[in-house]
Amino acid sequence: MTLLLPLLFGAFETRNDQDLAARLKRRDSQAIAELYDRYGKLVFSVILRIVKEAGIAEDLTQETFLRVWNRAQFFDEQRGALGPWVLAVARNRAIDYLRSLDGRMAHRTAEFEANLEHPSSFADIERDILNSDRARVLRAAFTKLTPNQRIVLEMAYFEGLSQTEMAARMKQPLGTVKTWVRSALKTLRGELEEVSV
Amino acid sequence: MSSQGDPRDLLELYALGLLEEPELSEAEAMLGGGSGEAKQRMRQAMENNAILMGAVPLADPPKRLRGRVLAAATGRESRWKWMPGWAAASAALAVAVYLGVQSGKQSDELARLRDEMRITLLQSARTGAELARAHQVLSFLNATETRVVTFGPRDPKPPRGRVLIHPVRGVVLIASNLPPVPAGRIYEMWIIPKGAKPVPAGLFQSDAAGNAIHFQQGGVSAGSMVAVTIEPEAGSLQPTSTPLFAAAL
Repeated sequence: MTLLLPLLFGAFETRNDQDLAARLKRRDSQAIAELYDRYGKLVFSVILRIVKEAGIAEDLTQETFLRVWNRAQFFDEQRGALGPWVLAVARNRAIDYLRSLDGRMAHRTAEFEANLEHPSSFADIERDILNSDRARVLRAAFTKLTPNQRIVLEMAYFEGLSQTEMAARMKQPLGTVKTWVRSALKTLRGELEEVSV
Repeated sequence: MSSQGDPRDLLELYALGLLEEPELSEAEAMLGGGSGEAKQRMRQAMENNAILMGAVPLADPPKRLRGRVLAAATGRESRWKWMPGWAAASAALAVAVYLGVQSGKQSDELARLRDEMRITLLQSARTGAELARAHQVLSFLNATETRVVTFGPRDPKPPRGRVLIHPVRGVVLIASNLPPVPAGRIYEMWIIPKGAKPVPAGLFQSDAAGNAIHFQQGGVSAGSMVAVTIEPEAGSLQPTSTPLFAAAL
């Protein structure tokens, strides 16, 4: 993942996100074009990584931007982080699609939607988080995970599997999978804390 | 993850949407309890999600996608693209409209075909947006004001098909025998109001056999024409090639 780091620079122009978000709220049609130009490639890439089919990724990318466009009025441009919000919407669209394919129940509640996808939830998130030192540390930390730790986190991030579903997929006891997940999260946290001390 | 686990794990898993009951309710109770620390942990988890999502290998989306996104948001162009399921649906639609025009009433056969089309459309819808579109087409078809125009039946060469027009809801184009488009090109539909310049009416593709269905929302004035040209993948503001066909509405 660290090899991909340079690709991120230029993808995010958080300095202008505040202005862009304000224009999205005003339904400025040029703003949706700029939003796509700024995040379209990354959104498509995230969705493609999850659904692995370009045609589906196109449809879901369109849904993602439409959702952002229709919900932008709830976004707080003074405090919110536009990029993380757009990426969260993209991931949720793609994971929902995967779940609909195999009939998996979404572990979603109204509270979850309110907590995690509503634009107001992205207030006070660091605007430049994707280019921050923390981002670099986290990506580097990901490479330090054991293969099993990495597999379970990949399943979590890019397939939306619950721990029960991971255990079934990997033919491992649930307790083992939970240990891998917990230890992976702890490793990532530890690396971040080490830097912030 | 048991409820005795590290609350940070709980919130990080919650941020990924991976918790099952009873941990799901436990996480929501933590967040709903107004704890500043829980909310801070949650923000960090969401930041981590964004960071890792932002590290995926980048892939180039097709150029046409930009036009589709803008069209969907602003409603200026079609929200439709070709899907395999639409082939059967378009065939059923054409027959249903033909029968409807011939009989002038809702025959049993027409109703049966509409039901078949409804099932095909709804089954082919892979996303919520597509499902919404399927309902839009069905609503369009069922409207009494919808009428049909054929084009190309006497032409020795393709393409040919039908245009369904509703004065307020828009136009559905059902075409067959469309010539293949070169790489980097796409079909673009135009609505040409009487005495005015062509207005872009959406980009679309065909299947391998040259069949396509395309829906353009919006009012259509009397005396307009519909035409289709082949344009660069991102679409054009005015036609840059000779129309494949044109139909007076």
